[in-house]
Amino acid sequence: MTRDQKIYRVAYWMACFIFASILLSGYHKILYPADFALSVYRFHLLPDGLVNISSLYFQWLEMVCGFCLLFVPKFRMAALWITLILLLVFTGAIGINLMRGTAFSCGCFSNAPDALPMSGTSIVRNAVLVLLAVLAMVSARKSR
Amino acid sequence: MGTTLKRIGIILLVSGMLALVANLVHPRRIPWVQSWSNHVEAKARKAEIRVIPFSVALQKFQTSEVVFMDARPAGEFEAGHISGAVSMPFQSLEEQFPMIGNLINSGKELVVYCSNRECDDSLVLATELKAMGAENLTLYIDGFEVWQKYGGATASSPAGP
Repeated sequence: MTRDQKIYRVAYWMACFIFASILLSGYHKILYPADFALSVYRFHLLPDGLVNISSLYFQWLEMVCGFCLLFVPKFRMAALWITLILLLVFTGAIGINLMRGTAFSCGCFSNAPDALPMSGTSIVRNAVLVLLAVLAMVSARKSR
Repeated sequence: MGTTLKRIGIILLVSGMLALVANLVHPRRIPWVQSWSNHVEAKARKAEIRVIPFSVALQKFQTSEVVFMDARPAGEFEAGHISGAVSMPFQSLEEQFPMIGNLINSGKELVVYCSNRECDDSLVLATELKAMGAENLTLYIDGFEVWQKYGGATASSPAGP
C-alpha cells in the first residue's frame, strides 16, 4: 500500500467513525419512540398512516448503519450509501419545512422540548455531512 | 456495485426486522398506525393557528412584545403559571371581553397555553380569540408542565397584568 493509499484509508476510517458516532448518538429515538414519531409527524410530509412506521424504521436503520460503520468493515460502503441517502432525504425535508416556516426542531439529535428549531444551520450542517460521506466513498475507492 | 446493493438490501431488511421486534417488546411501544389528525397540534394547524414548542416560547418570553394567556382553570393558574401570564379560562371568557379587547388592540403577540400537549383548552381559547379578531396569535403546545420542568420562569397567584 502506498503512502497516499494509507492516507485515504485513514480518511475513510475517520469519516466512518464520525458517521457512526452521529448515528449511534440517536439512541434516544429508540428509547422514546413516541417523541421521535412526533418529530416525524411535525415534518408534515407523510400521511398519518406512515408516520409511526417510518419513525420506527428510520431509528433502527440509523442504528444498524452506525453499527456497520463501526464494527462490520464489509458492510461499511453499503452503510455509507444509506447514510448519504438518508442525509439527502432529511435535508430536503428540513428545507421544505423551513420554507413553510416551521418552529419545531428536526428531532435529529434531540427530541427534548428545548431542542432548537430547525434553521439554515441545519441545512449547512447536513451539507457538510453529505460532503463528508462523498469524501469517505472517494477515499475508500482510492485506498484500494 | 452488485455486492454493495446486496448489502444495502441486507441492512434494510435487518433494520425492518429489528424495528418490528423492538416495537413488540418495547415498554414504551407505539401503535404502528396512529391518527395524528386527532391531536391538538393537528387541529390547531387545521385552524391555521401558529403552533410553537417550548424552545420558541422561551425565546418569545424573553421579549416584551408577547402576552402569555393561561387557558387552564383559575385554580390551576393560582397554583402556578408562566411568569406574567394572564389567566383566561375559556369558561369565563365572556366576563373578560374588555380585557381581551385591550390585549388584541395592544398589537402584542398573544401566546395561549394550557397544561400539556394533550389538553385542548388552549386550542379552544385560541379559536375564540381568532374569532374575536386576534391575528397575532400563537399556541404554545408543550404547556405549563414542560415550562416548569425545563426551568421557565413561573409565578404563583395573583394573575398577571
